[in-house]
Amino acid sequence: MAEIVAALLTSHAPLITGKPEIGKPEQRDRLYAGFHELRRRLAATRPDLIVMFVNDHLQNFAYNNLPAFCVGLADAYDAPSAGGARLMRLAPRKIPGAPDWSMALLEQALAAGIDFAYSYEIESWDELSVPLHFLTPEGGVPIAPVYTNCGAPPLPTPRRCHEVGAFVGDFVRSRPATERIALVATGGVSHWVGTPETGRINPDWDHRVLDHIARADIEPLLDWSWAEIERDGGNGGQEIRNWLALLGAVPGWKGEVLAYEPVAEWITGCATVWVRP
Amino acid sequence: MIRTSYALNKVLTAIARQHLMKERLTDDELAGHALSEEERRALKSGDIVGLYRLGANPYLIRRVFRPRFTI
Repeated sequence: MAEIVAALLTSHAPLITGKPEIGKPEQRDRLYAGFHELRRRLAATRPDLIVMFVNDHLQNFAYNNLPAFCVGLADAYDAPSAGGARLMRLAPRKIPGAPDWSMALLEQALAAGIDFAYSYEIESWDELSVPLHFLTPEGGVPIAPVYTNCGAPPLPTPRRCHEVGAFVGDFVRSRPATERIALVATGGVSHWVGTPETGRINPDWDHRVLDHIARADIEPLLDWSWAEIERDGGNGGQEIRNWLALLGAVPGWKGEVLAYEPVAEWITGCATVWVRP
Repeated sequence: MIRTSYALNKVLTAIARQHLMKERLTDDELAGHALSEEERRALKSGDIVGLYRLGANPYLIRRVFRPRFTI
C-alpha cells in the first residue's frame, strides 16, 4: 500500500509572485515564511509524486467544453507558459507529469463510476505555477493534476468534490508500497476577482474555513451552496473545492495553519496549511 | 440561476488565451461574433461592471480588461 507522505493546502494568486513589492512587508514575509516551511516539510518527506487538486481559470477549458473534473495526462505542464510568466514574474518552465500514474487513476475512476474528463495538454496559470515556485523550486518532482471546475459556474458541489478526493485517496492507497505520494491543493481562501467587488476579502469567512479544517470538522462545509460561497467567500472562494477534495483523500486529518494573511494588494485571503493525521 | 453569455465569453477567451490586455475592444476584434448591441457596447467601452451583469465570466473580465481595474 502506497503511503500519503504529505498533504498541504495553499492559496494561489498571480500577484503573490507577480507583484511582491506591493504587499505589506510584514504580511508578505509571514506568508512567504509559510510557503518556505511547507517546502521544508514537503522535501523532508521525499515524495515521488505530487497529486495536485487545482482549478483552471478559463485558460484551458472554455465555455465550449467545461469538465467538472479532469485528470491531466500530459508528459509535462507549462507552469508557467511564456505568456503567463510575464504577469506572474516567474521564469517559464515545464513541470514533468506522471502520465502512466494518471492514466491508471483515470481508468480506475471510470470503472468505479467517477467520470473524469482527461486532457493531454494543459497550460497552467497560477494554480500550479505560483505554489510550485515555492514548493518545488527545482521542479524535479512529477505532478499528477486533478482539475475541478471552480471558476465557470455551475460548479460541482463541495460534497461531490470531497467524494472525488476520497476516491483519489483510495486509489493512492491501492498503489504499490514503494510509492511516496504527496497531496497538494491550491486556491481560495476568500477573494473577489473580476466582479464589481474585486479586491474584497472576508477574513471572518476565511477563519471559519480554516478553523473547520484545523478541527477536521469538514462536514458542515460540504453542504455550502454555490450562492453561499459566492456571497461570503467571493468567486475566488469557490476554489476551496480543491481543498475539500484533498481533505476527502485523508479523512480525519487536521490542518495546521502556518500562515494566514488577508493581503489586500494581492486581492486574496492567502493561507498556507500543513495537513496531518 | 447563473447568467452566462456564451458570446461574451467566447470573445474574451480568445483574447485572454493570447495573454493580451485591453482597455477596450475594437470592431475588428468583435467581427463575426453573435453579440447583442448591449454586449457589443460593453466590450467596446471596457465596461467591466456592465460585462459582469451581462454574463461575462469575471476571471475573463479581469484577464482581458486588467488596465480597467484600480486594484
